[in-house]
Amino acid sequence: MAFLAPLFLLGLGALAVPVIIHMIQRERKEVVEFPSLMFVRKIPFHSFRRQRIRHWFLLLLRCLAFILLIAAFARPFFQAPTAAAVTSGAREVVILLDRSYSMAYADRWDLARAAAADVVDGLGADDRATLIFFDSGAEVGPRSMTDRGSLRALVDTAELGAGTTRYGPALKLAEGIFEDSSLPRLEAVLISDFQQSGFESASGIRFPEGTVVTPIAVGDEARANVSVAGVLFQREYFSGRERVAVSARVTNRGGEPVTGLDVTLELEGRELEALVTDLPANGASTVDFAAVTLDDAAMTGAVRIEGDTLPTDDVFHFVITPGQVVHVLLVGHERADAEAGLYLERSLGIGSSPSFDVATTTIGNFDASDLAGRQVVILNDTPPPSGAALAALQGFVEGGGGLLVVSGERSAWTSDAGLLPGTIGSPLDRDGRGGAIGFVDYSHPVFELFGAPRSGDVTTARFFRYRPLDPAESAVVLARYDDGNPVLAERRVGSGTVLLWASTLDSFWNDLALKPVYLPFVHRVVQHLAAYVPPTPWYIAGQVLDLAGQPGLAAVTPDEAELVGVSPSGRRVPVTEGERAGFLALDEQGLYEIHDATAPGDSLLTLAVNVDLSESDLTTVDPEELASAVTGRAGGEREAANAPARVFSPEDLERRQGIWWYLLVVAFCLLVGETVVSNRLSRRALEVD
Amino acid sequence: MDAPSTTPGARFVDPKVLARIGSLNLLARTVVDGFINGLHKAPYLGVSIDFAEHRGYMPGDDIRFIDWRVFARTDRFYVKQFEADTNANFSVMFDISRSMNFGSKGITKLDYGRYLAACLTYFCTKQRDRVGLVTFDDDIVTRIPPSAKHLDVVLHELDRIDAGRPGALAHPMFRATELFKRRGIVVVISDFYEDPQAAVDALKPLRYGGTDLIVFHLLDPAEIDFPYDDAVSFQDIETGRKLPVVPEKLREQYRALVQEHITALSKLCGENRIDYALFNTATPLDHALFKFLAVREKLSRVR
Repeated sequence: MAFLAPLFLLGLGALAVPVIIHMIQRERKEVVEFPSLMFVRKIPFHSFRRQRIRHWFLLLLRCLAFILLIAAFARPFFQAPTAAAVTSGAREVVILLDRSYSMAYADRWDLARAAAADVVDGLGADDRATLIFFDSGAEVGPRSMTDRGSLRALVDTAELGAGTTRYGPALKLAEGIFEDSSLPRLEAVLISDFQQSGFESASGIRFPEGTVVTPIAVGDEARANVSVAGVLFQREYFSGRERVAVSARVTNRGGEPVTGLDVTLELEGRELEALVTDLPANGASTVDFAAVTLDDAAMTGAVRIEGDTLPTDDVFHFVITPGQVVHVLLVGHERADAEAGLYLERSLGIGSSPSFDVATTTIGNFDASDLAGRQVVILNDTPPPSGAALAALQGFVEGGGGLLVVSGERSAWTSDAGLLPGTIGSPLDRDGRGGAIGFVDYSHPVFELFGAPRSGDVTTARFFRYRPLDPAESAVVLARYDDGNPVLAERRVGSGTVLLWASTLDSFWNDLALKPVYLPFVHRVVQHLAAYVPPTPWYIAGQVLDLAGQPGLAAVTPDEAELVGVSPSGRRVPVTEGERAGFLALDEQGLYEIHDATAPGDSLLTLAVNVDLSESDLTTVDPEELASAVTGRAGGEREAANAPARVFSPEDLERRQGIWWYLLVVAFCLLVGETVVSNRLSRRALEVD
Repeated sequence: MDAPSTTPGARFVDPKVLARIGSLNLLARTVVDGFINGLHKAPYLGVSIDFAEHRGYMPGDDIRFIDWRVFARTDRFYVKQFEADTNANFSVMFDISRSMNFGSKGITKLDYGRYLAACLTYFCTKQRDRVGLVTFDDDIVTRIPPSAKHLDVVLHELDRIDAGRPGALAHPMFRATELFKRRGIVVVISDFYEDPQAAVDALKPLRYGGTDLIVFHLLDPAEIDFPYDDAVSFQDIETGRKLPVVPEKLREQYRALVQEHITALSKLCGENRIDYALFNTATPLDHALFKFLAVREKLSRVR
């Protein structure tokens, strides 16, 4: 029997303390200075009698509990233990194989797999090994395998990923395996190109004491790498057709300039244009391709450069979604001033993402056929449509369309027709300098643009006349005048939205149209009514996409369709979750397609996925530094071959035996017994008194 | 990685540790700067700068902040937004009676009060307030009138004071009403060994003179818990009177009486709109600053 913290045994001397207190407690002659005896003087005087030991059993119980407590703190353990298996030389080996896309550089991946195969071949009969593949995440194969054939098969069939290097998750997994292991020797083999970018994630991980880490660096110090860093789209309209000019940014991370680099633009898999560019050392260049006319459907494209030693980042995929057009029907009044719709038309004539296709008509000529293909209808200072047209408009909104009612001189809606967010009153004049907007709900999509400082102030406009609005219960008031009257109210009708603007949108009743905020305000209103969501031209590998929010899948009813994602390598992943489109992990580089398995045909949605370019920086970190970080000691990693058998330290033995815990339990039981006995004795003493 | 939000080690430092810092100026700076660095931006930064901007009136705004001159010129309602109110007179009334010279845990109430006064003074100087100091026992001992330049004088005075005579609140407080003619903030730091009603009666004239009063009631942990075990004679520091005491027997009653005293003081202060806070000398100074700031914030809002 030995003790891990024998100094605690000195505490046994304290056993004498209660005895001494019992025996010699007496009044002391010293004087204690106290700030004020104001309170003490209010308490009646008490005397006490000299204490003597009356309950020896109780004292014994207390002393015993105290001894056990001290013994527990001294952490006892038996030295000749259970460590028979300890002298065995069996190893727990964890092979960490980097499969980030930078390993595609030159022959690094082949070298890495060969190194892993060598480690597997070198395993002894009693050794157990685990293979961990890692990039930005870590994937572990079967744990602690002894079958070398299976391990070799895992190494041989391993494939490169599209992720970036992060050592943290893999090292954490290895740490867990080591902690669970009962084998005496622990060894980690880290095979990687040791990129600096992944080093930070390894902080805070520490392998158990005695673990041997062997880093195997594949590749050399070469850093030359050219990559396509991104593309930009410049949209324009030419002869009524939408054209897009693609600009690609190409970077050179090497120390040598690159000349005559071929950069190719592909659309729908066909090469469209090839340009040649030069790149300075550690510099970048932009390549501008000629504009191309878009089809009606989304087009996939890619910019490629001629293959260098790291081909993964030599291509950049994207999807160009054409026709980001919101179709608007602007309905005016026959007798309206020619300038009544001028500001609205002009402001909707500007913009490319989205652009606005505006058709105009008058309320007298408005009928159901005008609604075909329209997403938003603006009734600009008109009475409600009559009869069938009103019913068609109602159906249009309930079906998901947007309606903006601009009230003015002629907006005599006698009832809200089940559409309006409220009842419109008679025009109201504001004298003098007019009214202004006094309350704005900046959390609403229409106004959130103006919420940040210096983002435009809608309250600067003067309103000289407007129609008071009595909002319906189901309506939400988004803005009010300074006298409290609503100026913009919203109501959801079916799947669509109705907005009511309680003044004009020209320069007759107010001067909002002359303010800088007018254009973005009108655009935001129409985009909100059309439920416009800008498309994403590409994603980064590693992202997880929520397909439920994808505009391309809006027409699909998830409970009827069976959505399947097809990865660039052809892997099919079902993505329907219950009654909603589910999530899709984008872990490969290239084009993902979403299909409906119940309706074979073209894909419903195509997504472009590119690699994270932080991995293109091939700057390395010293492998020894990483090994030191996880072992806590420098230079111990080369001792793998001659590492001594793991001998349990006193700390290990004590931890495994855990005798202190039993001592504490017994001490606790004694203290409980002491409480019961002393309570009983006290009660008896009170009764006697 | 985010930078640490406070000066390392400065916040919630044990007063005993602070006591090792020799210079009061350095001590105050250590505590207050650490404290300010740890604050969130929004609620407090704003307590002492100036007019910031006009903003259009919106329903719900306090009509007291409407700028009527702008209204007269433009016929529109605008509210003034302040980043803070203007300079205030800030004074500490510090009890240096002999009972303050008691400390069971290595730091006396006098030292703790000294640090507290230094921190508050330094803090107020940073807020551009005018700072002053009055020390008293049974009469006013020293007086430094509030001035924007008096930080060093106050710190020097705090550094040299020593507890001497027995204390009494009534007379010095009465005289103090003559000293604080202008509205301002007065912090009274004392152990309040008086009858609660008498203590508050002494404070009332100051309060009714328009001064905002904050009372910091300092007690040593031993005065609250009475942790003595041995039967010994206790001697009153102020009167020198001795009393044989068996702490074991009267501890509970003593604690009850102290709590009763604290409760009565707190209640009476509340009734007279005096802000009261109890501190035992083991509490980090930051807590006192938080309390002061909360009161200061409240005062600035009602101006």
